[in-house]
Amino acid sequence: MSLRFKILSGFLILAVMLFAAGALSIYELTNIGHSVQSLLDENYKSISAAKNMIESLEREDSGMLLLLSGEWERGRSTIEDADTDFQKAFHVAENNITVPGEDTYVAAVMESYEAYRLYWNRPIAGTPKQGDLSWYFKQVHPTFLEAKNRVNQLMTLNDQTLYKTASALKNRTERAIMPGIIAIVSALIFTVIFNFFINLYFISPIKKLAAGIRNYLKTGERSGMRVTGQDEIADLAAAIGELSLYRQETGKD
Amino acid sequence: MRPEIVMRYLGFILLFNALFLFISSVISRVHGDSSFYSLIFSATVVFLFGIFPLIFVPSTEKITNEEGLFIVVFGWILSCLVGVIPYMLWGEPFSFTNAWFESVSGFTTTGSSILSDIESVPKGLLFWRAGTHWLGGVGIIVFVLAVMPSMGPAAMILYRSETSDLAINNFRYRTQKTLMIILYVYVGLTALETIALSCLGLSLFDAVTHSFATIATGGFSTKNASVAHFNSPAVESIIMIFMLLSGIHFGLLFLFVTGTFRKLYESTMVRYYVVAILLGVSVIAANLYGGFYGKLTDALRYSAFQVISIGTSTGFANADSSVWPPLSQLVLLFFTLQCACAGSTSGGIKVDRIVLFGKALRRRIFNLLHPKGVFVIKLGGTAIDDPVIESALVYILLYMGILLASTLCITAFGVDLLTAFSGAAAAMGNVGPGFGLVGSMNNYGQLSDPVKWILTVDMLLGRLEIYALILFITIRRWK
Repeated sequence: MSLRFKILSGFLILAVMLFAAGALSIYELTNIGHSVQSLLDENYKSISAAKNMIESLEREDSGMLLLLSGEWERGRSTIEDADTDFQKAFHVAENNITVPGEDTYVAAVMESYEAYRLYWNRPIAGTPKQGDLSWYFKQVHPTFLEAKNRVNQLMTLNDQTLYKTASALKNRTERAIMPGIIAIVSALIFTVIFNFFINLYFISPIKKLAAGIRNYLKTGERSGMRVTGQDEIADLAAAIGELSLYRQETGKD
Repeated sequence: MRPEIVMRYLGFILLFNALFLFISSVISRVHGDSSFYSLIFSATVVFLFGIFPLIFVPSTEKITNEEGLFIVVFGWILSCLVGVIPYMLWGEPFSFTNAWFESVSGFTTTGSSILSDIESVPKGLLFWRAGTHWLGGVGIIVFVLAVMPSMGPAAMILYRSETSDLAINNFRYRTQKTLMIILYVYVGLTALETIALSCLGLSLFDAVTHSFATIATGGFSTKNASVAHFNSPAVESIIMIFMLLSGIHFGLLFLFVTGTFRKLYESTMVRYYVVAILLGVSVIAANLYGGFYGKLTDALRYSAFQVISIGTSTGFANADSSVWPPLSQLVLLFFTLQCACAGSTSGGIKVDRIVLFGKALRRRIFNLLHPKGVFVIKLGGTAIDDPVIESALVYILLYMGILLASTLCITAFGVDLLTAFSGAAAAMGNVGPGFGLVGSMNNYGQLSDPVKWILTVDMLLGRLEIYALILFITIRRWK
C-alpha cells in the first residue's frame, strides 16, 4: 500500500472516530433536552397545579372562618375566588395525567373537594351555624384536611416521579459524556499507535536509506540502501539503487 | 519481539469483536431498544482500531512463541476491554468496575453478573452479553484462527499458546483441521440447541442467547430467574443434554459424530465425567428428597440440572441451591472445583487432571506397599509420562493456592467465608454462581469494587489456565 493511502487512512480513522463520538454526544444531548422538556411538561405542571389547589383550599378555609364570624360578603367573595382558582388548577391536573395511577389520585382529590364544598355551598352567615366553632372543628375542618391531604398525595406522587426522572436524566448526562471520554482515550491511544507506525514504516526506512547512501559514498557498498516493502520509500530506495548502479557502471556523478 | 506483528493479530481479534457488536446493534435496531447507539458506536470504534494495524503492517505467517503468548494474553485482555465500551455507553448500573466485571465474566464464560434486573436491559445489549460468551467459549484466538482462511505456521503457535496440552490431546490432526473440527462442533451444537429450544416455544432471541451460553458453558441468561423462568422440564432437559455435551472434549464429539463411537466410550475421562455427574446427582437427590422436595421426580429434576450446570461450569439455575442442605452444597462445591473435560469449553481444574491425580495417588500407595515395584500410569492403554503427571499435580496445587489466596483477599474486605470461598472458586472455575451472597438466584452487584476486581483476575487466571499468565509475567526471563 502507498504511503499516501496509509497516512490518509490514519487521519481518516481519527476523523471518523471523532465524528462518531460527536454525533452520539449530540444525539444524547438532544435527547436530554427533550427529557427536560417532558419533565417540565409532565411532572412540574402537576406539582404546580397541586400547589395552587392547596393554596386555594387554604383561602377557602379562611373564607369559611370569615363566614363563621358573620362577615358574609368578604367570606363569600374569598371562597368564590378560591373556588375558581381551585377548579382551574384541578383542570390542569386532570388534563395532565402522565404517571401510572395518577388518575385515581386526581379522582380522590375531586371527591374530597366535593365533600368539603358541601359545607360552604349552603348559607352559613345568619344561620345557627354562624359562630358555631364546635361545628367547624368537628365537621368542616376534618373535611378540609382530608381534601388537602388528597392534594398532597397527588403532589407527592409527582414529586417522586420528578425525582426518578431527574435521576434518569443524570444517567443520560453521563451517557452523553461517555462517547466523548471514549473518543479522547481512543484518540490518545490511536495517536501513540499512529506515531509508532510512522516511526517504524516511514522514519526508520528513511534513516536507514540515508545511512546506506552515506556508507555507499564512503565504501561503495550498495547493500545498505535496500528497503523492503511496496510503498514510495521502497520505490525511492530502488531508484537510488539504480542511480548508484548507473554511477558505478558509467563512472559519472 | 515485534510489537507491530502482535498488533496485526490483535487487529483480527478486534474485527471479530466489532462484527459481534455490529450484529448486536442490528438486533437492537430490530427490537427498537435503547442500546442501538451504544452498540453501533462501540462497533465503529473497535472496527477502526482493528483495521488500522491491518492497513499498516504487512502480512506475515511467521511468529515467535513469545509473540504468540503476547497475542493470546493481550487478545483476552483487549477483548474484555472492548466488551466494557457498550455497557459503559449504555449507563446505569454499569460503572467501569461493573462493566469490566460483566465483560470479563462474559468472555471467560464465567456467567457471574452484577445485574439485579436483567430483563430491564435492552435486547441488543443482552445479545452482546451472550455473544461475549460465544466468542470466548472456545477461546477468542481459536475462534479467530478457525474462521480465518489460513495463517500458516502462525496458526499453530497461536493455537498452542491458547490451548493447554491436555486439550490438545485427542486431536491427532494438523492445526488447521483441528481448528475446523472445533468450529464445526461448536457451531453445530449451537445450531442444534437453538433449533431444539425454538421448537419448545422459546423465542428465537431467547433460544439463540441461551444456546450461546450453554455451548460456551457460560451461563448468562436473559431472564432474572435464569432457566427457572421457563419452568419447563423439557427446556431444562434440552439445556442439560447440551451442557453435558459441551463438557466433553470436542475431538471425541467429532469422532463420535463421524462414526467412531468407540473412542467416546473408551475415554477414561468421559467415563469418569459421566459417572461423577451421575453420582453427584444421586447424592444430592437423596439429600433433597423428603426434606426439600416431596416428590422424587422434583428432587431428581433440580439436582440433575444444578449438578450438570455446575459440573460443566455453565452456571444456569433452575433452583436456588444456596438454600440447600450443607451436603448438597459441598457436592456442588466439589463440582465447582473439578468441572468438565479438557478440550471442551468448560473451566475449572478439569476432569483430566483429577483422573491423573487419582492415578498418581494410587501409584504412590502401591509404591509404599511395594517399594521395589515399578508402576506405570496408563490412560486408555497409553503410558503417561511423569512430567505430564507432575504438571497436572502442580496445576492442582497452584489452582488451590490461588483460590485460597483469593479467598483471603476477599474476606479482608468483610465478605463472609462461604461467599468468599465459593465466589472465588466459581470465578476461577468460570462457573458463575457460588453460595451465600452469590448464590444461584443472587448476583455479584452487592460486592465491593475491590472484590469484583479480585474475582475478575481469578476469572482470567482460570480461563488462561494459570500457566499462560505466569509465562506472560515472566516473559522477560525467557532465554
